[in-house]
Amino acid sequence: MSVLSIKNLSKNYGNIKALDNLNWEIEQGNVYGLLGPNGSGKTTTLGIILNILQASSGSYEWFGGKYGDNPRKQIGAILETPNFYPYKNAVDNLEIIRHIKGAKETDFHQLLEMVNLAHRKKSAFRSYSLGMKQRLAIAATMIGDPEVIIFDEPTNGLDPQGIAEVRTTLKDIADSGKTVIMASHILDEVEKICSHVAIIKNGKLLATGPVGAILSDDTLLEVASPDMDKLRTFLSDVTWVKSTTEKAGIFECMIDENHQVGEINQLAFDRGITLSHLVGRKRKLEEEFLEITNKS
Amino acid sequence: MNQMWNLLSLEIKKFKNNAVVDLFGLMFLITMPTLIFIGKEFRDLPPPIPSNTIFFTFPGVWSYLGFAGNWLVFFFLGFIVLYVVTSEVDFKTMRQNIITGLSRRDFFLAKFYVVLSLSLFATLYYVLIALAIGYFHNDPYSFEGAFDNEMAIPRYFIMCLGYTSFALLIGFFIRRSGIAIFFYLCYVFFIEAMLKWFVHFKLVKNASINYWPLNATEDLMPFPPYTFVDNIPRKDLDFSFLLPYNHAMIATSIYVVLFIGVAYWSFSRRDI
Repeated sequence: MSVLSIKNLSKNYGNIKALDNLNWEIEQGNVYGLLGPNGSGKTTTLGIILNILQASSGSYEWFGGKYGDNPRKQIGAILETPNFYPYKNAVDNLEIIRHIKGAKETDFHQLLEMVNLAHRKKSAFRSYSLGMKQRLAIAATMIGDPEVIIFDEPTNGLDPQGIAEVRTTLKDIADSGKTVIMASHILDEVEKICSHVAIIKNGKLLATGPVGAILSDDTLLEVASPDMDKLRTFLSDVTWVKSTTEKAGIFECMIDENHQVGEINQLAFDRGITLSHLVGRKRKLEEEFLEITNKS
Repeated sequence: MNQMWNLLSLEIKKFKNNAVVDLFGLMFLITMPTLIFIGKEFRDLPPPIPSNTIFFTFPGVWSYLGFAGNWLVFFFLGFIVLYVVTSEVDFKTMRQNIITGLSRRDFFLAKFYVVLSLSLFATLYYVLIALAIGYFHNDPYSFEGAFDNEMAIPRYFIMCLGYTSFALLIGFFIRRSGIAIFFYLCYVFFIEAMLKWFVHFKLVKNASINYWPLNATEDLMPFPPYTFVDNIPRKDLDFSFLLPYNHAMIATSIYVVLFIGVAYWSFSRRDI
């Protein structure tokens, strides 16, 4: 079932096209990573579907129109930074969120324990570290048991421990079966948490689909030899080596999915080339992302 | 009514124990009944004021206390309204409220209810203080002549609405707290006066000069001696510098509707 349907969405800031005819379908229960470089239109997209920015043209519809013109009570979302009343403590801030959502009485202590903040629940928000603020924002998104959760750069500005803590929480939420949309430019994060990705650049959607479909089936081969010139000539002769680039003293080649890494070793050996380095692996999302965004 | 209480209680949750609101609120509560007592220091007053008892007895207490309230509502309640709107922009809680599920209409209505409640509360406070001061300065203590006050209570209420709805408009339109406060003060002290005297008066020399928004609001509770001065015939100008109360009430009511309408129009169409 479609949870969100975006049709031909555009947003202009003067002459700048922040979003350019964006179309995107979000299906229930999937965990989406919205990927894109800084300034690509990720936050603008989320801002429009959360009704804080006005689209220049196009439309979007949440839950097939089931909740009328204000479906946001069914959505838990943080956009850019955690925004709370700085002079209020965690519990008072969560109570304001609950009030707006019109949700039933909530056990805030349990919620704060989930994000490891229960011990500071009576401290003013302004006294929190950035990691604590981010974790409170994640707790706030869970109030009212929303159908969809939206995170925008959830680990931005956190220290390594904070990133690990937030990722664990995000993974738990993603595993709970809720529909999640997570904007990020940290691809490792998306690859670990998301089932689907959408790649956006200059306001245009470049690719969308399950992570597995975006990731190529081809194998990435790293290979090196004491005689790199000879190796270069050899690799250009192998028909099933699709591309070769040199990086820091090794060649990175894409090889057809029907061929094995060992075959290269055998062929090189037959041509009298000794390999000093040979690694075969699947491409990472980061590499796919760079290729897709650089092509456009 | 249910929705009104729901939105007002949300505002109370947001701003309860807020140092700025508490401070301005407390200053208003303290200065409102005490400022008028400065009048006790003025024993020898020029004619046509007979003596300083006029400040404290019915019906004079309504005018003098109302004039004190004119300034205090403009400062303290105006600032509170500016703060409850612009602080939500500064803290980015305005956008978070909308993201969380409050409709723009309800966010605006909540602020409008704050304006309405503050005005109602300030009017009630004014009535209680005026009645108390007037009662204890009648000899013997009594409420005699208490309500012979030229509709001072609705005038005061509309005046409160005039200032607070103007602050609401500035808050939603300008959004940045510092600039909003600066503009609010500048408009009242300089901008309107300059437009009135250096533009309007140069073009047209008649009573229409008095219908500028904050002038109309101010004239609902004017400095009482002005009403005496205004009755002195002048050779150079044949119109009054004070609006008749009924004109001031109608003009201010129209401005209140305009301020609120424009503020909502601006808020509902702009990015947050």
